[in-house]
Amino acid sequence: MTDAPERITLEEWDVQYEKLRRAGMRQPQYGGPLSRHVEDGDHRLRKLRYDNSAAALRLWNFLLTEEDRLREARSAGKKIVGTMKDLGTVPVMAYCFDNVTAFYPDGAWWIPCVMELSDGLLEVADSLGIDESFCPVRAMLGAFVTGAHFPIPDMLICSVGATCDDFSAIAQRLNGLGHPIFWWEMPHRRCPEQDEPAVILPGGIAAPKCQVEFVKSELERVKAALEELAGERLDEEKLSAGISQANRVRQYLAELRYLAFTAEPCPIPALEMLIAEMLAIHFCSDRRETIAVLGELLEEVRGRVNAGLGVLDADAARIFWVNPVADLQVMNLLEDCGGRVCGTEYLFTHALDMIPQDVPPLEALARCALADPMAGSSIDRAERICADVRRFGAEAVLISRIPGASHCALEGQVISEIVAETLDVPVLEIEVPPVTDSMSPTLRTRIEALVETVRARRRATQGIRSDR
Amino acid sequence: MKTIIYTCPYVPAEWIAAHGLHAGRVLLDGVDPGFSAARAEGVCPYVRSFIGEVINNRGADGAVVTTVCDQMRRAFDIIVRNCDLPAFLMNVPSTWQTLAAQKLYVDELKRLGGFLIGLGGKAPSKDTLAETMLAYDDARTSIRSAREHLSAKQFAEAIAAGGSLKGEAFGDGSSDSGHPQAALEAATLRVPLAIVGGPLMKPDFDLLDMIEQLGGRVVLDATETGERGMCPKFDRRRLREDPLLELADAYFAGIPDASRRPNSELYRWLKRELAGRAVRGIIFRRYVWCDLWHAELGRLKEWCNLPVLDIDSAGDNETDRPRISNRIRAFMEMLQ
Repeated sequence: MTDAPERITLEEWDVQYEKLRRAGMRQPQYGGPLSRHVEDGDHRLRKLRYDNSAAALRLWNFLLTEEDRLREARSAGKKIVGTMKDLGTVPVMAYCFDNVTAFYPDGAWWIPCVMELSDGLLEVADSLGIDESFCPVRAMLGAFVTGAHFPIPDMLICSVGATCDDFSAIAQRLNGLGHPIFWWEMPHRRCPEQDEPAVILPGGIAAPKCQVEFVKSELERVKAALEELAGERLDEEKLSAGISQANRVRQYLAELRYLAFTAEPCPIPALEMLIAEMLAIHFCSDRRETIAVLGELLEEVRGRVNAGLGVLDADAARIFWVNPVADLQVMNLLEDCGGRVCGTEYLFTHALDMIPQDVPPLEALARCALADPMAGSSIDRAERICADVRRFGAEAVLISRIPGASHCALEGQVISEIVAETLDVPVLEIEVPPVTDSMSPTLRTRIEALVETVRARRRATQGIRSDR
Repeated sequence: MKTIIYTCPYVPAEWIAAHGLHAGRVLLDGVDPGFSAARAEGVCPYVRSFIGEVINNRGADGAVVTTVCDQMRRAFDIIVRNCDLPAFLMNVPSTWQTLAAQKLYVDELKRLGGFLIGLGGKAPSKDTLAETMLAYDDARTSIRSAREHLSAKQFAEAIAAGGSLKGEAFGDGSSDSGHPQAALEAATLRVPLAIVGGPLMKPDFDLLDMIEQLGGRVVLDATETGERGMCPKFDRRRLREDPLLELADAYFAGIPDASRRPNSELYRWLKRELAGRAVRGIIFRRYVWCDLWHAELGRLKEWCNLPVLDIDSAGDNETDRPRISNRIRAFMEMLQ
């Protein structure tokens, strides 16, 4: 454990970095001071607040050097696969090949935020007819056109069907620009009918067995395509080994999430937890290093919890966060307003739940893929959220709308209603664009109102208790 | 007879009718101000209208929603939570090139059959299904052959009614419902246009008249509620051998749409139809917040050598009308 935990600015990190370096901090090859990334154009970093641990530094450096890793992989002759939309399933398979590196082009949606719109990706998307009525993931289109943010993959694999229309439409536009795409079908997950054979998916939702079989057959097609690209056969043993490694990531994250969301005081900021959770999706282009990065972060958090140390006030309002934010700074904002994140549903719970290891590996992946919250109904998603709100003891739910996203238009209403009906907690919906500077006062006011509501409810509850 | 309402062209009317139920493909009336989602922002006006229609419909006995677009898929959640009308969500795959996707569509038709039986329908025999399909096929042939004798609006109305008419023949141009001969001759002098996009609502049909009044002639209605959304003619031999498979094949493989992945068939179909009808300009009609069609606009402009006019609609016809009229007028001046 390093120093007393606190949230610090980028300037403060430079001082902290020197201090840690002098103290003998061991750094990976991609290590270095965080502020160097600003010179690469990552201007948003200057406005964020970070955890001050060496583990967090490693996490950030790992995230911010992904492009370098992809280019190194290309130079080393590895095949690069862009896995799109499924958020956590195909990469598990892709990383089983010795000469394949997979990444999520979807992740480009954070580039406009991190570079504070200086990258011009959204303008490129505009010029292709994909304007601001689409989700910020449209930045991906710009990244393909400019070729400045990741090497153009040797293969693109995209799940379609029960996905959001934004991504499906943008991927089709990309396809129309001359990028071949291997499409695979993700059916809308439905409830099993009476007497229909069913399977319990990771996360606890039941699905018809025939749907699992269908997804499995689609993943078999994906596997065959990857085998052809890699020139290597993927047998069950190798796939099972890959699943074990993915489960190590998920295991670390499960403990991290539990400690981060339940320990008093909060041992690690929401922003670092968001980054950590995202690693589960595609391992940030290096699975082995992902495990090491998360392992170190977990050690840090365990140490803090054991010592009773944290980064926020002990009375911070416990907020459950729904949907990922396009502007990372908003995670800071919640904590600045007196809140802490106690539970998340960033649209990829299926990448966090353990992959079953007691069934054939491809079926296990099919079960995971089908558990995708986006593949099912908003009602299923709301019920999972309610269960996790209870589990982590959150006192309010904050739904962060993704501007333009097809699913956000209607599901926010369903989730709000079900949470309100099921749990006695307040719900707030906000919308977070890639850069929130101009609307920061409005967002702050709304989040502060939520935090105040939580505190008022606590006082009321305490009042009732003392009256008794 | 019980009525099952739906809007999606991938729901075969024949399948519902063969179960002894009335297939009511709904032509939406427009955004219902009586229904409000918690937030209207971001919600496609067509989806909003559909939700309102289903929730307020007093004559329907069941509703079929499909997964063709994400917002419709989400609309199903709103519907089941807000009304008692039995509703069925049919999974229509986006991919279409694999046998697995085709089989999934067939399986979904069978599952839909189970839903219809639950509402009082009767599982059709092969012969019943085949006869029903033939009747609908004849009706569609009749509609198609009447196209040249009808105004674009009349043609659109005929297609919209087609799902309910069950074989009723359309005029051959000599009937009162068709264009008078003089009007038809005048129409040939107008600029031939295509209208391309998702579904139209009933008030949107006025747009077709507006185009004619401003000097155009819609020779290709490639909207979802137009010709593009009509299933192609059945193969009569296959229809006798295995009617369900022929039904599935005709609908699933025969209706080109922006939602398919890849959607190359849409462009193949457009290429053939645009050339065959000597189209000189395209009116691209889309709803605000409809990502699937909106994203095609840029590609369509790059793909075809024709001028393309983008007409977006927020579903408020009163506000839209003057703006749309001005844009079409300018477009026609450019083309004439």
